[in-house]
Amino acid sequence: MIKVSHDPELIIKLEGKAKLLRKHTIEIIRYAGKGWIGGSFSEAEIFTALLFHHMRIDPKNPDWPERDRLILSKAHCCEMHYAALGEAGYFPKKYFSTYGKFGGMLQAHSQRTVPGVDYSGGSLGTGLSFAVGEAIAAKLFSRKTSDDTTVPRNMVYCIIGDGECDGGQIWEAALSAGHHKLSNITTIIDRNRYQSTGAVDSIIEIEPLSEKWKSFLWNVLEVDGHDLGQILDGLEAAKKITDKPSIIIANTVKGKGVPSFENKVHFSPLTNEMYNEAMNALA
Amino acid sequence: MSEFLRESFNESKTMYSGHNEALVELADENPNVLILYADFAQGQAGTYYRKKYPDRLINMGIAEANLMTVAAGLAEGGKIPFTHCHSIFAIGRAYNQIRQIAFDKYNVNIILCNTGIFWNFMGASHQVIEEIPALRALPNLVLLSPSDAVEAKKASKAAAYFDGPVAIRLAEPETPIIYNDDYPFEIGKAKLLKEGKDVTIAATGILMSKVLKASKILERDKIDVQVLNFHTIKPLDTEAINNSARETGAIVTVEDSSVIGGLGGSITEILSENYPIPIHRIGVRDVFGQTGNMEELATEYNMNITDIIKAAKNVIKKKRK
Repeated sequence: MIKVSHDPELIIKLEGKAKLLRKHTIEIIRYAGKGWIGGSFSEAEIFTALLFHHMRIDPKNPDWPERDRLILSKAHCCEMHYAALGEAGYFPKKYFSTYGKFGGMLQAHSQRTVPGVDYSGGSLGTGLSFAVGEAIAAKLFSRKTSDDTTVPRNMVYCIIGDGECDGGQIWEAALSAGHHKLSNITTIIDRNRYQSTGAVDSIIEIEPLSEKWKSFLWNVLEVDGHDLGQILDGLEAAKKITDKPSIIIANTVKGKGVPSFENKVHFSPLTNEMYNEAMNALA
Repeated sequence: MSEFLRESFNESKTMYSGHNEALVELADENPNVLILYADFAQGQAGTYYRKKYPDRLINMGIAEANLMTVAAGLAEGGKIPFTHCHSIFAIGRAYNQIRQIAFDKYNVNIILCNTGIFWNFMGASHQVIEEIPALRALPNLVLLSPSDAVEAKKASKAAAYFDGPVAIRLAEPETPIIYNDDYPFEIGKAKLLKEGKDVTIAATGILMSKVLKASKILERDKIDVQVLNFHTIKPLDTEAINNSARETGAIVTVEDSSVIGGLGGSITEILSENYPIPIHRIGVRDVFGQTGNMEELATEYNMNITDIIKAAKNVIKKKRK
């Protein structure tokens, strides 16, 4: 992988942002009284790197055709998605309070009715196929850069879970993206190693993950999914590849950031005790 | 008979021939039209399109679920995709994906190839009987069911210009051309093909020419048949159903797939709420299909001209005095 020496101040700034997103996430979940705490916390740095540094977006113009797309295939972990979009300015943060409420803008599972959400998920394993369609469209609508190079109109970023790799459609999508050499897709797998009822690899062994994706004709990178410098390096290295799609295996910890949540909490009620623990840990 | 009907039904074509003509015209008109298909010849849009627009034709392989969601992504990205899957595998393997398309109202045109019981050689694994009930339960989705090549062409063109998801049923066998080229097609409006006051035959899809032939035979027996073409299954033209029920007082429904929740089921639901009258539903009655040509299958499943005539006479006998 290409190693870039990032400005330490940038990394510090982004680390602060990731911590803030975890706080927002806990507040959002508190409004509903329950939520997907573990899988939201494990993706904090991934969302931070994408929305607050790497992606070509305009939060004030969420339907801009040239925007890079962000697809959260593991759309149950929508609380972090909504936290990041609110923080990025896609909608006022006062809407956080609508999560889990009748008539609320923020519905369970990321939904396109929310500004900045590019894909309505919920049916696991489908997001990567949507990314393939978006990527083909973006290649057909290529654009010229300032140095007169022709590039796809936009990049497509897709965050998938390791649990959803149990399902066939992920691999159908992987085959088709490899076959069509969709270099404008970067998939990030939130490899937090837990799904609803237990450890991913005790339920369905998905290793060797890197070899699987390589054999599907993908460029494979592996990073510490909580190290923002490594994630940024991975995203930049992936963007430079022009003949195949890329996947970044982001090794993460479910519930990362609050010790009592780590590797334990998938979907859970949020008790007052848990809320206080989270706020203390994130102080 | 309606002025839009041909005088004789002696020319037959497949619905694909009309649909493929529409695809060429649509591709000429709009550079964003493109085609996805799941590795079968009828999905390839015809020879002319293939030669003219090879870069706007993508074989997605035998992977209908991926194909359908890829189409959603293409639509979000600004393209106008037409998906081609065998109908049974579109609804059987990609129902959830179609549901997502309906939920987000993507402009995806879902061509349900080889629809109904009359995919004659392929047998029960490939004949679809349940797609109308499955798809009409989805909010936002328009479901069209043309009855010949002319109507198939008009349905495909209407779908491309409709802002939202549309599914179109195309049957495999060659079928008589019923309509003149100036036949007007409007999504959501049932088409009156023949005036009549004794009984209504409400039909959809490939059996339409049999319905019209049956209505001519019934005329000889002094039975005045009204024929309504429900080329749009959803949104169903409830006004046409209610008005026709009041005019004739008896209805026979005719379709090439299951009566359970199909056109027959839909019309029965509407009239039960609004104007209950005797109804006889012609269609597949809770059985899977089998290999056989269209005549053999229509006879086996009581969907042939004689069955339509018999149903019309019986339902008239049950009319309120």
